[in-house]
Amino acid sequence: MCNNTYIPIPMKVEKILSENPDGSLRTFDLSFVNEEDKFDYMPGQFCEFSILGKGESPFGIASSPTEEGILKFTVNRTGSVTNEIHYLNVGDIVGIRGPLGNWYPLEKLKGKDVVIIGGGFAFTTLRSMLIYMLENRKDYGDITVIYGARNPDLLIYKEELAEWDKRDDLTLHLTIDTPVEGWAKHTGFVPTITKEVSPDPSAWAIVCGPPIMIKFTLPVLKELGFDDTRIYTSLERRMKCGIGKCGRCGIGSKYVCIDGPVFSFEELKSIPDAF
Amino acid sequence: MINELRSQVKKLLEDKTVDIVIGYGKGSLPNTATPIFITKPEDADQLIFDNTCRNNLTVYLTKDRKKLKKDYKKIGIVSKGCDARSVVLYTVENQIKREQAHIIGVPCNGVFEKKKIQTITEGKEVIDIKVEGDEVTLKGRAFEKKVPLKEVLSDSCIYCRYPDAKEYDTFIGEPRVEVEVAEEFKVVTDFEDKTAEERWKYIEEEYSKCIRCYACRNVCPSCYCNECFVDQNDPQWIGKTPEVTDSVIFHLIRNLHIAGRCVDCGSCVTACPVDLDLRIMNKKVEKEVKERFNYTAGLDINEKPAMVSFCENEKQDFIM
Amino acid sequence: MLKIKKTKLNEFIDFLNRDYSVYAPVEHGKKTTFKKIETALEIDHSAYNTSKSAKEVFFPQAEVMFKYSKEGLKVPERNEKPFAIWAIRNCDAKSLKMLDSVFGDARQHPGKDYFKDPYWKQKYDNCLVFNLACNEPLSTCFCHWFDGNPFDKTGSDVFVVETADHYIMEDISDKGKKFIDSYDKAEKADDNDVKVIDELKATAESYLGDKIDTKPLFDKLKKIWDEPVWDEVSAKCINCGACTFVCPTCHCFDVDDEGKDGKGSRIRLWDSCMFQLFTKEASGHNPRGVAVQRVRQRIMHKYNYFRDNYQVDLCTGCGRCVSVCPVNLDIREVIKKVLEY
Repeated sequence: MCNNTYIPIPMKVEKILSENPDGSLRTFDLSFVNEEDKFDYMPGQFCEFSILGKGESPFGIASSPTEEGILKFTVNRTGSVTNEIHYLNVGDIVGIRGPLGNWYPLEKLKGKDVVIIGGGFAFTTLRSMLIYMLENRKDYGDITVIYGARNPDLLIYKEELAEWDKRDDLTLHLTIDTPVEGWAKHTGFVPTITKEVSPDPSAWAIVCGPPIMIKFTLPVLKELGFDDTRIYTSLERRMKCGIGKCGRCGIGSKYVCIDGPVFSFEELKSIPDAF
Repeated sequence: MINELRSQVKKLLEDKTVDIVIGYGKGSLPNTATPIFITKPEDADQLIFDNTCRNNLTVYLTKDRKKLKKDYKKIGIVSKGCDARSVVLYTVENQIKREQAHIIGVPCNGVFEKKKIQTITEGKEVIDIKVEGDEVTLKGRAFEKKVPLKEVLSDSCIYCRYPDAKEYDTFIGEPRVEVEVAEEFKVVTDFEDKTAEERWKYIEEEYSKCIRCYACRNVCPSCYCNECFVDQNDPQWIGKTPEVTDSVIFHLIRNLHIAGRCVDCGSCVTACPVDLDLRIMNKKVEKEVKERFNYTAGLDINEKPAMVSFCENEKQDFIM
Repeated sequence: MLKIKKTKLNEFIDFLNRDYSVYAPVEHGKKTTFKKIETALEIDHSAYNTSKSAKEVFFPQAEVMFKYSKEGLKVPERNEKPFAIWAIRNCDAKSLKMLDSVFGDARQHPGKDYFKDPYWKQKYDNCLVFNLACNEPLSTCFCHWFDGNPFDKTGSDVFVVETADHYIMEDISDKGKKFIDSYDKAEKADDNDVKVIDELKATAESYLGDKIDTKPLFDKLKKIWDEPVWDEVSAKCINCGACTFVCPTCHCFDVDDEGKDGKGSRIRLWDSCMFQLFTKEASGHNPRGVAVQRVRQRIMHKYNYFRDNYQVDLCTGCGRCVSVCPVNLDIREVIKKVLEY
């Protein structure tokens, strides 16, 4: 029998970090239990996170390939699987299948300016890419990050955001939807801030966030002069098998799990029900 | 009759008594009718009504179809006795306002049960059916068979006491109020006469065929929950496999959910692609409700449904 | 070409049974479905076509992917013998080829084991397909709309025709030839048999309804994705999954865990794009929350999306969906409506 992709590999929970005060967002660092299970991956790929007895859910890998030995996932508590993931303790063993899907066009981005635009907890694979680019800093031009959430609590990776803010080799624009006392950064929706920041349209844009954010950011980028072939996003669907069989993540003739999750807007234009 | 139905519908649409009519049109297969939706008076000529009109059309008033209710203020619905009872059910269960539905009663002589026909022809395909009085002629490629009409009608129709709408706004012809039926619950009493082991064996064998396509639930006018218990996954009440234990639980819970609400239209029986015998248990709960609460679903628009009303003198032996 | 007497089918099936797990149409509660058989006596040849398609032999409605417990994960072991499937109609034989292009290989990563489906492969690879010609197509049949024919041989290893008292067998693949050659109790078929086959074929074809040219369907569908025709087409659909579950080509599935106290199974189950739950996300968002979107998805997947990826329509015209639909939503009518639109 050929190797069975449906069998998850065991991974151990090394660290759990609550990302916000209400505990609805948690980040899990996992380590490989068996040396032979170790796999390489690229920023933008995802894994099926398995809780035996509950099932599997797909999550983008939030760690960067440069962070060796661990896989990082940030999980929003919404359904039965994510609920169970939130009950995990350090030392627990979970199942992981992956890496699945394609990745951000890192080769194409080489030598180019990059604008990363993110919203809410969809910043996961963007973190992976950002860390990867910072580790290979000389390969890329200017890096601009625009990241927003409803309120400061809902921004994830707060410690790292503070560190990135201090760096002079990237420009970070943080924003929240409505004003909050003590908030010194931008206030306003991501599309509005993108317009304000007005990144140079010669750059490549990577946009990830709730569908509504993407929907309104896209016209802004187009107005600024960004070409559809240079705007990328990552789609979310209910992937189950992750290998192009089960049909659940179909959008038009594409399957998000094997043709994506990363798509350029040029590709998405011809797909009828992408959004 | 059919000409009167068409002209009545035409008139209802013309004078804007209704905005749309749900009725039956000729189906794509021999001896099949299909639901049609008519908004233009001139399309009324597409309507048919005969023994092939098996669906309970009221299902289009609920479920995913709530859209219809929103888009059209007044909906005409071609109704056999059972369909009209479903409209009554929806009214007493506050799913629609009575005035939103315009019941167009049609005299019903029962509908064909495809599965019975197939048994008679030993699986051979029937291309044409002719009804002459109490006799039908089944015609296939290389055979012709005459059988009494009763043998090819749905059990729900053979044992139906209310073939014509009791509650209606328009009736085509003269409605019969109630017809005498001998041994209405024969299917149940025969089943009850078996031993517990025999009953369980039968249930297990029947339900082991279930493929969980939910056709029975989706054609059922009484099954209109926004989210069915089988679809809930947090918590997940029952397994999703076609294992007989899961299937039995699905069907039995559905039976309980439609207790005192099933109008025995027989839609689930005809819809089942694997021929499950679904009627026994439906009828069983109907009989229980009738005996305990003296209630039959869909007959009286002013009566509270059995499961939401309480009388002090009700039998309470189920409370241990 | 060889032939065996109908009365001697049991000997043939016994022979087949030695090296294969044999599946054939068997009656199960008034309906005929494919089941594993031990002797020819169990076979029910009376049905024109099985109520469920042959896909369930290779892709069962519920299949344990692995069992889990404190000791770890365990993939269920399978009977070693390869599968043989007897008396499968051409519409099903062809569908297996289509499913094999999805499960047996990977569109984006051809040849890569990681993307192949092991559960499908262990059953379908090396299986022997005995395709029984369709002497009497039904009014629901429309294989001829999709390059099919009641006597089509594609997808079969051995092509079988039932005559008055014989099964005439023609080997189509090497695998089929090897097996037929190894059976020494068959008679040689003669010119007269060929004549009989031609006659049967002509009769069968005469039973088929009008033919529609479905070639323009692909482009047409792409054009009308956003048109109101879909409201019209889907109006009567009640969104059950009967059509997709009896379909020989529908292959979407769900993965579900069943068990308690740390012990149980991960199971894959047929799922249906007709169900609202199919695309519903944990957040409550549903990309295909409305009935019309789901009907469109089913039609688009069959006649546009799949062709985009695999250069063939995901439909063999078996007509099962037509015969089971509780509201007579005839897919042929949909096709006609789309083409005329």
